[in-house]
Amino acid sequence: MYEINICHLYPELLNLYGDYGNIQALVRRLEWRGINVQVHSVSIGEPFLQDRYDIVFMGGGQNYEQDILHKDLLMQKKEPLIEAVENGTVFLCICGGFQLMGRYYKLSNGKEIECLGAMNHWTIGYEKRLTGNLIFKMEGLKQQPDGLVVGFENHSGKTYLGDGVSPLGKVVYGNGNNGEDGYEGARYKNVFCSYSHGSLLPKNPALTDEIITLALKRKYKDFVSLQPLNDKIETLARESMIKRLIKP
Amino acid sequence: MKKIINTVRFYVALLVGKISIHLLRITGSGGTSLPGKLAMTIYPEILRTLGAKYRIIMITGTNGKTTTARIIEQILTENHIKYTSNKSGANLISGLVTTLISDVKLNASPTSPTALLEVDEAAFRLASKYVNPAVLVVTNFFRDQLDRYGELFSAVEAVREGIINNPDTTLILNGDDSLCASLGKDVQNPVIYYGMDELPESEEENGKAYNNDASYCLYCKTKYEYLYHTYSHLGYFKCPECGYERPEPLVHIVRVPAMTSEFTSAVIGTPSGSFEAHINLPGFYNIYNALAAVTFAEVLGFSHEKTIKALSCFESGFGRMESISLGEKNIQVILIKNPTGLSQVLKYLATVDKPSVICFMINDNTADGTDISWLYDVDFEPLKNIQSRIPQIFVSGIRAEDMAVRLKYAGIFTDHIIIEKNNQAMLDSALNMLDVGETLFILPTYTALLDIRKLLIKRFKLKNFWQ
Repeated sequence: MYEINICHLYPELLNLYGDYGNIQALVRRLEWRGINVQVHSVSIGEPFLQDRYDIVFMGGGQNYEQDILHKDLLMQKKEPLIEAVENGTVFLCICGGFQLMGRYYKLSNGKEIECLGAMNHWTIGYEKRLTGNLIFKMEGLKQQPDGLVVGFENHSGKTYLGDGVSPLGKVVYGNGNNGEDGYEGARYKNVFCSYSHGSLLPKNPALTDEIITLALKRKYKDFVSLQPLNDKIETLARESMIKRLIKP
Repeated sequence: MKKIINTVRFYVALLVGKISIHLLRITGSGGTSLPGKLAMTIYPEILRTLGAKYRIIMITGTNGKTTTARIIEQILTENHIKYTSNKSGANLISGLVTTLISDVKLNASPTSPTALLEVDEAAFRLASKYVNPAVLVVTNFFRDQLDRYGELFSAVEAVREGIINNPDTTLILNGDDSLCASLGKDVQNPVIYYGMDELPESEEENGKAYNNDASYCLYCKTKYEYLYHTYSHLGYFKCPECGYERPEPLVHIVRVPAMTSEFTSAVIGTPSGSFEAHINLPGFYNIYNALAAVTFAEVLGFSHEKTIKALSCFESGFGRMESISLGEKNIQVILIKNPTGLSQVLKYLATVDKPSVICFMINDNTADGTDISWLYDVDFEPLKNIQSRIPQIFVSGIRAEDMAVRLKYAGIFTDHIIIEKNNQAMLDSALNMLDVGETLFILPTYTALLDIRKLLIKRFKLKNFWQ
């Protein structure tokens, strides 16, 4: 029987905008297919065991909370996290988690906060928050040919992608990474980063299944594909927002 | 000359305010904010001028403002104190101004010299520049509409700044909330705390991913140790590093002998002795609201007898567990606006032992919060556990489909969920499903509450919300 181990990084600190919903979506969609799933909370002072996890989730927090974990993240977890990324572990990083995977976060007062440097992107603090509904288009979403992913963004940092990192999708409605280049989120190896919460995964099951499939394929050579589920409600929710925000 | 001009502007503003209140009420649109807004355009200082004529009691905090205000109103009534209040829940500056304009006579003297005003946390900072409240009650701080307020701490800091503007105001603070209790540190104000002793009902929420808005010390960022939790981050907190801890409460819940789906009875300890009271509203979180009001009564030196009477008979506020009896069936409307509030409401629903129908109405207008991701921060476990006696769950409002997804991922059976965006149709089919003695629980966000209440007023001849 297949089994997936999910690591939830700093769950009591990085849980700002319904981040828990992403974990719940992964867990439910695995369970509904009879796949065993374990969620491991890894917080301050607890070791990140890079070989143990198939999917790693990192959400967003308020500045206050990100300050609290910053030292632990950089001193204790940086090396094994980078190793896991390079080894092809599947990651989902939202908002603050997305920013932390990059090289640095430069505050509006000029101060630079060092980030993990697992990926080549960086974030510049900005006074005006980018807040509102967000729709972006992903290429190659197997279950959903239109590729439209729906969420909500709320961030004051503008993120820019460097060489080697590609966007997760192109903005159709909203701001995305910076409101300038039309990109939303980032992809590198098996890492998915996004500014979209809402939560992102429950309403976008095609993306959730893409993440799950990657993790299963990486772990089990004999794994072929996921059994389809009834996603009627999820589709209704996603399409009602697409209809409302972008003209058909 | 300037003084005369200001006096003229004040009276013109007052008159315009009064006329617009009158006009808006006869057209049936309430008018709980707009008259104040108009008056402030004419005379921006109107709140200062009017505020000086009143003894002001203010209530702020994330949850429980309205319910606490309703209990304090009843306490004032029992003690024969005439008051005015922003009963409608219009709690921004314009709402406060409207309330006072509505109360003063045309010569600007108050009809009721006491004003009981619930005020939004951010609006309190602004209000504090114009008025000097005699008493400020702060209920709690939880994450709430981050799309509008930014970070949770900005709400705490807004209230703190307002307090600094008013060093004479007596502060009544929830000592079980580390964020709220911090408002009483290093200020000149007289400070009184309230809190709950360790109860068997106290929750074991340690390690849970939900509702940890304040698990790290506000001063030194060390993880708090808790002697016990009451709910969410409330409880006996203690920082092992810097020593910041729950202050000793002057007024406290000693025991809760009964908690039913209709009422709670609580033993409350005060410096002048303890007493048992019957709180005319169910829900664990309402014990805190009652406690805040009792603390207020203690500060004013009111008799226990009258406080007990008030607790037993106050009317819950607009959409706050508001019950509508339809003869054989009931409707109860409970406003939901943030994760902690909804989690507590679901816990309350789990105490209702009869079958019932539930309707979630989720809007995403500005007043509701445009971001609905908070629904994923809610603990739906209590609802999941009682789904065998909930034949149907309706979802309605602009974001009905999203609520349906949320319920599905919470483990609610999808064949229990009905998406019905037409409120009239939802109400009809929901009431049809009820048997004699059963209740339809309607859980709307703020603007959805306004919508459903309009419909309920029309169908069942309810009072208008400003009455």
